[in-house]
Amino acid sequence: MSVRLYHWEPNANSGKPMLTLAEKGVDFESHYLDLLKFDQHQPEYLKVNPDGTIPAMVHGSRVLTESTPMMEYVDDEFPGPPLKPTDTKERWRMRWWMRFFDSYFGPSLCMIGWAVFVGPAARQRPREELEAAIARIPLESRRIAWRKAMFNEFSTEELDESRRRVRFCTGILEDHLARHEWIAGKTFSLGDINGFNLGYALPLSQPDNCNDAKTPHIMEWLRRIYERPATKQTWKHGRTAMAERVKFLERGHHA
Amino acid sequence: MLELYTSEPNTFFLKPLIALHEKQAKFETRWIDTEKFEQFALSPAGEVEAHLHLEREGPLLRHDGTLISNSFFMIEYIAETLPGTALMPEAPFDKYRAHASGQFLGGHLGALVPILGCVKYLAPKLAALDRSRLDATLAGVEPVERRQGWRALLDGTYTPQILATARERLKFSVQRVEATLAADSWLAGPNYSIADIDAFAMLRVIPDLAPEVVNARDTPRVVEYLARIEARPAVKAALATSRSGKPAEAYVPGVEPSRWG
Repeated sequence: MSVRLYHWEPNANSGKPMLTLAEKGVDFESHYLDLLKFDQHQPEYLKVNPDGTIPAMVHGSRVLTESTPMMEYVDDEFPGPPLKPTDTKERWRMRWWMRFFDSYFGPSLCMIGWAVFVGPAARQRPREELEAAIARIPLESRRIAWRKAMFNEFSTEELDESRRRVRFCTGILEDHLARHEWIAGKTFSLGDINGFNLGYALPLSQPDNCNDAKTPHIMEWLRRIYERPATKQTWKHGRTAMAERVKFLERGHHA
Repeated sequence: MLELYTSEPNTFFLKPLIALHEKQAKFETRWIDTEKFEQFALSPAGEVEAHLHLEREGPLLRHDGTLISNSFFMIEYIAETLPGTALMPEAPFDKYRAHASGQFLGGHLGALVPILGCVKYLAPKLAALDRSRLDATLAGVEPVERRQGWRALLDGTYTPQILATARERLKFSVQRVEATLAADSWLAGPNYSIADIDAFAMLRVIPDLAPEVVNARDTPRVVEYLARIEARPAVKAALATSRSGKPAEAYVPGVEPSRWG
């Protein structure tokens, strides 16, 4: 049974199954969807995932649409190096931190990213086209998010709060990595794959909060993951300048 | 040694009680009076996962020195660590379904059910207390997201319009469960699992909080499913730990609603 993966750039949710599959050594049929052209809301893709969210993975008759549970599936289903600790306390910690990334750190970072990057990129198109694009989005929560980004409806308070949370989360993560080699503890795991996809560009997008002087443990952790062959292989799937940002993690890049 | 920091067996607190009883595990109970804010003394800043408490309130499990938080990952930890009845599906795709259910319902029911429950049962109790003393207690609560869960109840943040939206969104989540149950007896495949414990703990109070959302006419499968789980001896034992005799009237603020609107 072959694996088909529908994804955007190796970044955030799309990058999570991409990097997991690469770490396991599983080949997959790549279907690149351009998030900024709303490929994910086109009828052809809605037949695969009626929610119109990316990524989606098809394995035989199975369709998987939640990126973090998808990573666990890849680890459980395929041979290759295990990506979950055997110790159940480490497993619990891995899962706690993935939820922290997905539901707390990620949305705040994402709001800033959408306000400064996704929104302006989308606004290149005529207003009627944007309204039509929003009307095609299946999930209410995604319609709300896209509307905010496209028409720049973020309030100063909302963005300030997101910036506060990003600073706070960066500090929490630095403290955690000062105590543990990897997110789960002693073992490289899905938690690191998840965290890398969220945080690989932090030193570029948040230079005052995440740098060698202030967050040396985060920097070292990101560089260690960047140096893994699977990471290099995965980021080659990138088609835009977004994926290029990963090269900032090259040792000696920032002398 | 296994110690469960628990309170009235409802919503988040109900989940590990069911899982531990299903496993017939021996554990010590440490009772928390959430309306006296005893929970804030239990999660020191040094134990970051318990301190941040991503669901904002809920049980803690101390096992050989490690403090486990988050009600879904806690029952998965119980399933993976303790001997006894299997509570985690074996097949990878069924595991995926359990994880995906926990994630989806955690974000949706985990935020919506506590809002409706707190407005109905907790807010009137808080309103009867001395406001300046409450403010003083809450002022010291960190992180700020946990403080805000309580402040919202005191400040009347949940307007009728917000509550109406919450009910609409609840319908969307419950209809997904109803659709899953049309194809399978349980949420993650052929067997009862942590996904069912997780869903049950939140769904069982909706007929009280929003009868238009869960009822025999609109969601017959959910109604039958709840009755089937309610009849399990482990569930009865978990509910019997109530001190008030009315566990379904005990609520704590839940998962923070999405900041995207």
